[in-house]
Amino acid sequence: MEAKKIRLWVSYFICFILSGCAAAVSSPSRHPAKTPSDARIEKKESREAKPRPREVASLHLTEQGQMLLERGKVDEAIGVLERAVSIYPSNGKNYYYLAEAWLRKGNVAQAREWNRLAGMYLAGDSEWSPRVYEQRGRIHVQNR
Amino acid sequence: MIFRKSTKKKIVLSLWLLSFFIVLGVLLYCLYLSILIDTRFSGRRWGIPSKVYSDSTLLFPGQKVNQSLLINKLRRLEYRNVAHAPESSGEMRRGEAFVELYLRDLEMPAKRQKGFPVKIAFRNQEIENIIRKDNGAALPILELEPEKIMLFFGPERQQRQLVSIDRVPKHLIHAVLAAEDSRFFEHHGFDIRSILRAIYINIRHGTIRQGGSTLTQQLAKSYFLTPERTFARKIKELLMALTMEIKYHKHVIFEIYLNEIYLGQKGSVSINGVGEAAFFYFGKPVENLSLAEAATMAGLIKSPGLYSPYVSEAKCREHRNKVLHDMERLGYITRTQMDGASQEPVKTVGFTAYGKKAPYFVDYVSKQLPTLYSQKILSSQGLSLYTTLDSQVQEAAENALERGLARLEKTHPSLKRSHPEGKLQGVIIVMQPKTGYILAMVGGRDYSATQFNRATQARRQPGSAIKPFVYLSGLDQFTPATELSNEQKTYDVDGKSWKPHGKSSDSGKGIRMRDALARSDNLATVDLAMRVGLDRIVDTVKAFQFSTPVKPQPSLALGAYEVIPLELARAYCTFASDGVEPYPLSLKTLVDENGNVLEQRHMTIQNIISPAKAYVMSDMMRSVVTEGTAKSAKNMGITFPVAGKTGTTNEYRDAWFVGYTPDVLVLVWVGFDNGESVSAEGAVAALPIWADLIRAIPQYISGEWFTMPPGVVKEKVCSQSGQLAVERGCPEPVEEVFLEGNVPIEYCRIPEHKSGSGDAVKKWWKKLWRR
Repeated sequence: MEAKKIRLWVSYFICFILSGCAAAVSSPSRHPAKTPSDARIEKKESREAKPRPREVASLHLTEQGQMLLERGKVDEAIGVLERAVSIYPSNGKNYYYLAEAWLRKGNVAQAREWNRLAGMYLAGDSEWSPRVYEQRGRIHVQNR
Repeated sequence: MIFRKSTKKKIVLSLWLLSFFIVLGVLLYCLYLSILIDTRFSGRRWGIPSKVYSDSTLLFPGQKVNQSLLINKLRRLEYRNVAHAPESSGEMRRGEAFVELYLRDLEMPAKRQKGFPVKIAFRNQEIENIIRKDNGAALPILELEPEKIMLFFGPERQQRQLVSIDRVPKHLIHAVLAAEDSRFFEHHGFDIRSILRAIYINIRHGTIRQGGSTLTQQLAKSYFLTPERTFARKIKELLMALTMEIKYHKHVIFEIYLNEIYLGQKGSVSINGVGEAAFFYFGKPVENLSLAEAATMAGLIKSPGLYSPYVSEAKCREHRNKVLHDMERLGYITRTQMDGASQEPVKTVGFTAYGKKAPYFVDYVSKQLPTLYSQKILSSQGLSLYTTLDSQVQEAAENALERGLARLEKTHPSLKRSHPEGKLQGVIIVMQPKTGYILAMVGGRDYSATQFNRATQARRQPGSAIKPFVYLSGLDQFTPATELSNEQKTYDVDGKSWKPHGKSSDSGKGIRMRDALARSDNLATVDLAMRVGLDRIVDTVKAFQFSTPVKPQPSLALGAYEVIPLELARAYCTFASDGVEPYPLSLKTLVDENGNVLEQRHMTIQNIISPAKAYVMSDMMRSVVTEGTAKSAKNMGITFPVAGKTGTTNEYRDAWFVGYTPDVLVLVWVGFDNGESVSAEGAVAALPIWADLIRAIPQYISGEWFTMPPGVVKEKVCSQSGQLAVERGCPEPVEEVFLEGNVPIEYCRIPEHKSGSGDAVKKWWKKLWRR
């Protein structure tokens, strides 16, 4: 309780101070300089804006899987989506459609697992996150 | 006179009766044959072996490739090299930095696609682009057809591809008629001219030299009768031919003949029918055979062993030209056609004998089949089994194991054994962690020497390879930065004292959990296990669905219990796939000969641990490779992020390495079946095999590391105390990963590391927000 009060007061105080301050300049880091491998990782991350080739290939299969699903070819869709996952496991849309496919097959346990993974990989995606939550709701309903 | 008349009458009557009974007998026999023929013709005409296929291969621009493995695969898919740009299905042209293919029609359970010409360009061991040659379109992804890896042959070991007579080109029909039975469409099952000629020749030589059989008789002989040459069998053959001609149309008989006829030998397997032979000799469908090729094939019927182009090209050509000459004589072709075809060389496609590729994997797949698919059904009903196998990975795995074991025997001559069954053995399992696909499985060194599948049947102690499960059990209480005791201690277990074997590099000084796992410190691991509780570790191991019994004994923490290699690989997949354990998938689809799906299996997953715990474990196991027992991997060309764990059991009976990336997991085990020592640790015996394999399959190495999931935080900690690092105080702060609810809150307490009041404020600040 005491800590809570202190936190509240500290927060007010910080807001008050910052509201009248110019942008702060960060002090130089006191931690050791980054290793070359760290630098490489950062360089890689900076390139992330451009989709990786395997991401492109995986998305191509995702689209195929989605179309098969729309045509009611659930087993075929799962087969294609499996390949899409194998090419690029970080493509969360595959997990979304896999959850959808398993839901259609009536396997709620599998649908829930894939939906959970979809939620994890699409967490920062403003377009897909609501779809994942909506799907989770449907899974919940079907489970009941 | 009366007597003579009545005798004559009796004789005539007897003759009539005799004739009647003979005719009746023959008719009854023909009726019996008719039923026999009907049964055979109306039912399944031939036993078609079931086929086991690998998975299809996906290629896409930007994908890294091992060109030599890819070309080997194309060869196994029987793409034949041509000098010109590929113009017909199954042709391939190789350039310095490209390969051009005319793809075959893709016919899979869920996909049918007409073949088309394509150019795959390479740059720096990567696919630069894939261009469709007929319309110039750049393809984002290309699927190569699955590879036939095994046929379930019956005892007769025959292979054929059925063709309907509509698909057979006219010149092949004419060539067969010219070579074997030019009056086939005129006679009624037997040809008196041929028979008289055969009798004349046989009497002249005093032995049976010529048959004079028509196509119908040949068919009766090969389809229903034994191959001996007796007059009784000849009569039977004749009657059967007549019955067939009465009951069936000429075209039906001719079609069955074309599919039945023996045309050569591929290893121990006989090639029957023109459909299979067209691929065997010329690598193309029967409808694409040229006149010269058709004549060659017709010429083979007489004696495939003698006139096969694989046996004698000269004899084959000579006999082909004789067939061409007969065709011209009978008016089937013109003289110009004959001359043209006669000039052509005999060009064959070359072949590899049917072998059992990936034999241990195929055995494993066969055992997955439900009991209703017996060996008899598999060898006769032409089923197709589509699997998860990647034949390029399988080839790389087989090579890596063979090379690795040979290398070990060279550096450790004491490991050499003369008896094939007693030789040093190994296992390789390659899985995709996310999907559970088994990409490759090598269950032993030499399948011909021993078919015991060590990947799925052996029970071996994992040694330190079990430690990740011990450390995982402690993640709720401890962190990778927690200091463990590495003092030599004696533990009291159920009233008995137990002292763990093994020593620690810095015994007694304490060691961080991450370092203890990286260095595979036995003393620290036992300390952790005892602090966590053995029952808890047993619960963790059981959660990973090991089928082998596990007991709460302290030696469990050091891997003194048995596991099946495939189950260990599967359990490790959980760390590489956000905490979900996949079902190890080998058989995907089972299809009947008409393309109907009989069985379909998909990847299924089960959540075992949180993604956060999986990430922390992978991060800790990354240290095994960067600075721990497997750090020699760097010298083996492993420069990308990898997590893994070595394992060695008492007296070096087993050597393990399980290593993975987000894309692929490889387990390697080395040992003797009888438990003799391999005289080397996992890092020496198993790791080089792992590295050799992983270098050979760049298509599965993205070079990326796992994405940090929610629930994991990074903090700088003091490398000595494992507590939060004090800025400007701790000399070697390191970044560490923690489960969100398990981040250390204490700052480093080592007196020399403490600094000014600024840190005290920070300490208070952090404490305030974490409380």
